Amino acid sequence: MIRLHRVCKVFDGGPMKLPALSDITFEVDKGDFVVLSGASGAGKTTLLRLLYADERATDGEIEVAGFDVMALRRREVPLLRRSLGIVFQDSKLLSGRTVFENIAFVLRVLGTPRRDITPRAFQALKAVGLSARAQAYPAQLSQGEGQRAALARAIVRSPALLLADEPTGNLDEEMASEILDLIKDIWSRGTTVLLATHQSRLAAQLKRRTVRLEDGILIKDEG
Amino acid sequence: MLSFIVSEAFVDLRRAGRVGVSAILLITLSLTALGGFWLLSLNLGRAVGQWRDRVRVVVFLREEPSTAALADLTRRVEALDGVQRVRYVGKADALKSLRQSLGAQGSVVDHLPRNPLPASLEVTPAEGFTTPEETRALAGRLASLPEAEEVQGGAEWVEGLARWQHLFQIVGLAVGAVLALAAILTVTTATTLVLHARRAETEIMRLVGASESVIRLPQLLQGMVQGLLGAVVALALLEAAFAVGAPRLEPLLQLTLGLARAVFLSLPQILFLIAGGAFLGALGGLLARGRATA
Repeated sequence: MIRLHRVCKVFDGGPMKLPALSDITFEVDKGDFVVLSGASGAGKTTLLRLLYADERATDGEIEVAGFDVMALRRREVPLLRRSLGIVFQDSKLLSGRTVFENIAFVLRVLGTPRRDITPRAFQALKAVGLSARAQAYPAQLSQGEGQRAALARAIVRSPALLLADEPTGNLDEEMASEILDLIKDIWSRGTTVLLATHQSRLAAQLKRRTVRLEDGILIKDEG
Repeated sequence: MLSFIVSEAFVDLRRAGRVGVSAILLITLSLTALGGFWLLSLNLGRAVGQWRDRVRVVVFLREEPSTAALADLTRRVEALDGVQRVRYVGKADALKSLRQSLGAQGSVVDHLPRNPLPASLEVTPAEGFTTPEETRALAGRLASLPEAEEVQGGAEWVEGLARWQHLFQIVGLAVGAVLALAAILTVTTATTLVLHARRAETEIMRLVGASESVIRLPQLLQGMVQGLLGAVVALALLEAAFAVGAPRLEPLLQLTLGLARAVFLSLPQILFLIAGGAFLGALGGLLARGRATA
């Protein structure tokens, strides 16, 4: 599902070159659940951004869901992203729309037939246990509920791969556990998951394969 | 998908608020100015065309010719370069014509001791000989006739009218262009504000894999809708002004320009103004897109 080979990313900071990732090589098979761990600034977010083509690697090979990311042209990027679900530390919910509208928005944007929108949005809300809060606005949600809504939005189109960038970063332990349980649920239904976290205790608690980054270098791949 | 794009465009239009309304008003002003001057120019153009067809050179004769002399004179005039037709107006016909043009006061001519009006030849210039230069040259040729006392007429004043028509066209285009520029900048500002307000939506759309056209089309459409609204309001204003003003102005037009009635813009001209409005709006939307992505 994911293949990185000798991937490097250097940010051009004017006269200075800022290396963010160096010589990263690893693979994630279809149906795997892999934790990407490392302290803040280790390069986890940069690596995820390379995977969904929000940044371009300086060197190396990247393959995601059958797409050769390095060879993707700008107009082909949406095709890659349609096969992904992405969750962030902040839920990125649209404040002027209800939870249901936030999820339906994604379906509408991608041209889903009108008759399919409501059942699919409610199906996703049910999967994250948020059906009762469908008409609430983001400001009326707790942080845990907001993150669940974001998860519902990420899975509403049944993506092959879920990329989660610190999805529990803003949550207390109890809420974080709930979100991780939900992500495991999603994985158990066949979605490949790559979850980035700086919380090493959480990473250990998951008992899944862990790829650890430190200062942009892959230092451990185990489990 | 189309319904999504259209509904987002209208949501954006609401978001644009007062700036959006200002943009519509400026497009309205710009197209009203353009359309107003066009309307003036159109009617002046009709008058010019009508008068070009009516250009005549009148040769007043020293004395009323005999039938044979008239036939000879007519033949010589018709042979001159640039003459299409010659009509003889005898002294009696001239007096009759004066009586008719005086209307109710026509009986005045009955009190004249004798007919003071000269006989004349009314010469219609041939096609292509109605310019001021050509009619002046023709008048010169006619003045050299021994029977001619005086030669009058020409196309100078018609050309003066044509110059006014061109002036209206140029002023209309200039005023319209300045206002159009202001309108484009206002639509650009309105769309840029909307882009700023909807940056969260745009980010989500990009992340989930929406195509650029789905992201951009609502902005373009928002600009076009503003332009169309502006054009429709401008046309309504022009139509209302025409409906109120034309009946009051027509007697004056008849008297000064000989135009029996004023006409409104034709359907292709109306469609041109509507398309112009849509174009102005769309251009503003596109420029905002450029600014937002720069």
